[in-house]
Amino acid sequence: KLGHPSELPPEPVPNYEGGEEFLRRLHHVLLEVEVLEGALQCPDSGRRFPISKGVPNMLLTEDEA
Amino acid sequence: RVFSPEVDCVSGKVFFRAAAGLGELRKLRSGERLFLLLKKHSPLPVSGSRGKMLEEIKSFVIEEPKYWLAIISVWRKLHGHEGRTGDDCQENASGLKRKSEEETNTASKRQKTEQVRAVVSEECQVKAGETCVAPERMSSQECWIDSKTSSEFPSKGSGENPAANEEPGFSFRVSCRCSGAIAKILTSQEIGRALGVALVRRCGWRTDLRDPDLEIFVHLNDIHSVVGIPLFRLPLANREYIKTAGLRSTVAWAMASLAEISAGALVLDPMCGLGTILLEAAKEWPEACYWGADISDSQLEGADGNIRTAGLMDKIELLKASVKALPLPSESFDSVISDIPFGKKFKTTKDAQLLPDILQEMERVLRVGGTLVLLLSQELRRHADGLTRCAGGDPADSDSGAAPAPAPSVDGNSSSSAQGGGESVLSRHFGSLVPEGVYAVSLGKTDAFIHKYRKVSAAGN
Repeated sequence: KLGHPSELPPEPVPNYEGGEEFLRRLHHVLLEVEVLEGALQCPDSGRRFPISKGVPNMLLTEDEA
Repeated sequence: RVFSPEVDCVSGKVFFRAAAGLGELRKLRSGERLFLLLKKHSPLPVSGSRGKMLEEIKSFVIEEPKYWLAIISVWRKLHGHEGRTGDDCQENASGLKRKSEEETNTASKRQKTEQVRAVVSEECQVKAGETCVAPERMSSQECWIDSKTSSEFPSKGSGENPAANEEPGFSFRVSCRCSGAIAKILTSQEIGRALGVALVRRCGWRTDLRDPDLEIFVHLNDIHSVVGIPLFRLPLANREYIKTAGLRSTVAWAMASLAEISAGALVLDPMCGLGTILLEAAKEWPEACYWGADISDSQLEGADGNIRTAGLMDKIELLKASVKALPLPSESFDSVISDIPFGKKFKTTKDAQLLPDILQEMERVLRVGGTLVLLLSQELRRHADGLTRCAGGDPADSDSGAAPAPAPSVDGNSSSSAQGGGESVLSRHFGSLVPEGVYAVSLGKTDAFIHKYRKVSAAGN
C-alpha cells in the first residue's frame, strides 16, 4: 500500500512472469521508489516501523526486546 | 593495482615503482599519502656532535640549485594538472601516463644514485596469523620551518646565486620527522630549521608555513633516510566522495578488502556510524549490496548525507536498528564488517557483556562461509580472542596446547571483568567463527587491530 499510482494486485496472478505491465510496476516499486516518510508493517504481528527521511526505525522498545 | 615489479614495505611506508598516470595513482586506497621519492639511503651515521650531525643531514638532503630546479619542474608538471581540474584528475589519463613515464626515464638517467620512485606511506600491515607488532611509534612531531627564520637571511639568499638558479617568489616548507638514534641528538624541529635555512641560502627561495608551493618531506630513522615530495596537494586519504569523515578511509578500505566481497554479495555494517566502511566498499566493489545500521539519528543523517554526496543511494541501504537485535534474517549476509566503538573502557559487567551480544547477532546474520571483519582496540581484542577461541580446558580442542601466550591472560582479564556478577564472558563460545588473520593499523594517536573471521558452521554445531 503505497498510495502510489502504480498499484499492485494484492497477490501475484498466475503466470505473473509473463505479464509485462505487472513486471514493470513491480520493478518500479521495488527498485525505483524510495519511501521517505511512511512505515513498514510486519505481516505477522502488524507492528509498524516508521520510516523517516528514508530510514526505517527498527529499534525495539524495552518490552519488545 | 598500479602495476609495479618492485614493492618494498617497511615501517609504515611502501616503496614502489610505477609507470602510471596520476589519475591511476590517485585511486590508491590504502595509503595515507603518496610521495615522489627523491632520495633513499641507509640511516645516517650518528655522532655525538650535533653540529656534525646537522652537516651530515644537510649534505644528504641539500643539493645544487640545478637539482632543485629539475625537481620543481617535475613537481610543476604533476601539480599543474591537479590544481585547475579539482581533486580528481582522471582527464587525459593517457597523456599523463606518457608524461610520467618520460619523467621516470629521464630522472633515472639524470642522477647518479637517485631514482625517481613513488612512496606510499603510513599503513602498517602484518602477515595473517602472526601476532601483530604495533606500528613504529614516532617519537617526534612534524616540523614546520618558522617564517621568522627566513626573514633573517634574505640578503644572503639573493647575494650568492646567479640568476639561473633562482626561483624568485618560490616558497617551500620542510616537514621533517625523525625517530630512533637521530632523535636522541636532534629534534625534527632543529633539523627542519637547519634544512630550511640552507635551502633559502642555496636556492633563494622563501619559506611559507601555511601554503607553500613545494613541501619537502624528510624522514630519518634507524631504518632509512628518505626525502620526498608529495604527489598531490591533498593526501590520498582525503576522498572526494566522502563528505563527512568518520573512520580513516584507508583503514575502512583495508577492512573491506579483507572481507572478500564478490559480485552480488550482501554486506552489512551493523554499527555503521557515518558509513565510511560502506562507502569505501561500495566505491571499490560496486556489484554488491550494502546495508548499514546504527542507533543514532545524527550518525544516520551523516551517513545519508555521505551516501547522497557519493551518489551511492542505490547501493547502500540504511536502517535505524540495534546491533544487539538486528531486524534481519539469520544467515542472510555474506560479509559483516564493523568498527566496534571503543571510547569506553570495559570496566563494568554490562560493558563486558556488550561484545558477546554484538558478536552473537553478527554471527547469526552471517551465512556459513561468510566473513566477519572487525576493528578492535587492544583492550577489546583480548575479549574477542577469548570468545572466539575455545577455552583451554576443552578436550576437543587439540590446538589448545599450541595456543599463543595471550590465551591465559585473556582468562585473567575476562574473569576479573565478570566479577560484578552475571554470566561469565567466557561461557559463550563462538566456535563457529574461526580467526583468519590479525592486522595492526594506526589510527593516528592510537593503534587498533583488524580481525578477520570466517563462519565455518552454523552456531551451536
